[in-house]
Amino acid sequence: MGKDTLSTLAKVIRSKNAGPFELTFDIMFDDVAKYEHVKRSGLISAARIAEAYRIRVDDVLVCRPYDAAVAFKITIKRPVGSGDIEDRDVYGCQQHVPLTRLELPGPYSFRASSPLTAAKGST
Amino acid sequence: MMQEIVGLAPSGSMGSGYNLKAFERGLAADPHFIGQDAGTTDTGPYYHGTGLPFLPLATYRHDLSFMLRAARARRIPLLIGSALTSGCNASLAQAVELVHELAREDGMKFRMAVISAEVDKTDLKRRMAEAPLQSLGPDGALTPGTIDQCGPIVAQMGTEPFIRALDAGADVIIAGRACDDAIFAALPILRGFDKGLSLHCGKILECAGLSAIPYDLAEPLLGRVRHDHFEVEPCHTDHRCTTVSVAGHSLYERGDPCLQPGPGGINDLSDATFTQFDDRRVKVTGSRFVPDAVYRIKLEGAQRVGFRSIVMVGIRDPIMISQLDAILAEARTRSEDRFSASTGIHLNYRVYGRDAVMGALEPDRHLTSHEVGLMIDVVAPQQELATAVAMFVRGTLQHASYPGIVTTAGNMAYPFSPFGVPVGPAYRFAVYHLMPLTDPCEIFPMSIEEVNY
Repeated sequence: MGKDTLSTLAKVIRSKNAGPFELTFDIMFDDVAKYEHVKRSGLISAARIAEAYRIRVDDVLVCRPYDAAVAFKITIKRPVGSGDIEDRDVYGCQQHVPLTRLELPGPYSFRASSPLTAAKGST
Repeated sequence: MMQEIVGLAPSGSMGSGYNLKAFERGLAADPHFIGQDAGTTDTGPYYHGTGLPFLPLATYRHDLSFMLRAARARRIPLLIGSALTSGCNASLAQAVELVHELAREDGMKFRMAVISAEVDKTDLKRRMAEAPLQSLGPDGALTPGTIDQCGPIVAQMGTEPFIRALDAGADVIIAGRACDDAIFAALPILRGFDKGLSLHCGKILECAGLSAIPYDLAEPLLGRVRHDHFEVEPCHTDHRCTTVSVAGHSLYERGDPCLQPGPGGINDLSDATFTQFDDRRVKVTGSRFVPDAVYRIKLEGAQRVGFRSIVMVGIRDPIMISQLDAILAEARTRSEDRFSASTGIHLNYRVYGRDAVMGALEPDRHLTSHEVGLMIDVVAPQQELATAVAMFVRGTLQHASYPGIVTTAGNMAYPFSPFGVPVGPAYRFAVYHLMPLTDPCEIFPMSIEEVNY
């Protein structure tokens, strides 16, 4: 079997400004098992993010799972301030694609899935 | 003792409209106040630099009319922060004028507090001279010269100026630049509710329906702050807040989901728990405000870096597209030669269909499109010069010759006439710094006005 990319497991992969000088990414899941699988794989690390965007590891400011939202949070230094002369994306909302292509080390078994439902209790 | 404070947020972005039927449903829940955020840095430095509102005034007037009438009919406070967009004095005055127009139309009578958030530049330079300000992004030291090149500089107020206005009996509060959660946290804090819970609830309310499913900024949201938790609920009966949608909102537009710094301290959400109360409501506990030793507020200002002119064209010829980089480089060289007497010219090629969106971050370096959009983007010290450079580059590219050319009548398709578009002044965020205060209200003067029509 081929390797899974992040986009096959995550429900939302988005980018946005966090203020004019940071770019922040949210990777969100609709299935706790998929989230846990990605978390266990160690795929989401500052080193991998730096590699995907060809930036310095020091410019990855935050990179962490956030269990309450079944999500990962990544924040990097913006290459150029929002709206500055060389900027290309004032909102920063179209910078997510390199994340969608991150490859997991092995295939994911869907038998283990546990979808989130509205009735789910406290996290 | 009050058991709860109920806040109603009509929309996440004033001027963009909101669901009025759902808003009525929100009012039926007997809110203690209506709060509305009306500003942002998200739309870039132009609005801070010029002090202009993001949208036409008529759109703000439309949105304001329903919330003002509803608040006055129910005798509950209406709090509006960051009016309008940057929250500088000029846009604040425009918002106040809109309030007057609406009040006049309906013959309203109320007490209005107007809170300014624009910083006096002389005072700012004096403070900077005493102690340098900590940068939250801009490189290099902030100098008095940079301050002079900025448009209005604003400070994000915390809850204290709003609380002072509520204490003064204000029915309507129109504030300049404000931390968005402060608009919604002021009344709960004034009534003795926990600051961490009040601010966290405010952070969710300020984006209204964005923390519900389906995500929608134009959907009103209710927040109920109680003594040991708060609860959020969308006003639209088909919409739902879920633990994941609400916790997920903690991620939106901020660097760290758990530590959210604001005026005077950090709201620590590390121990926050999200519980599904029923199908549509989520209960939150555990948000904790940790005050800083020194009360600091964030300053924002945009420096003018020149004037922008653009030409937007399409290129379809495959032979030209295959040699585009060399052709663009040649035009740049000719432009530098032609305008060698001028300094401060920035020529930017934005090649849509290749890397215009991501630039250096783009993983797909090769050009694959059968057509490309080219924006010739020039920023120069004068508008005329910017247009002259953009039009010179356009003319050079239009008739550029390259190996194998077959289309010798012209290289580019123009979507419309005129070709050259003067865009106006260009700005960059040069002030994004923390400044210490001894009194959280000291740079946010308030005036009280008895509106009586």
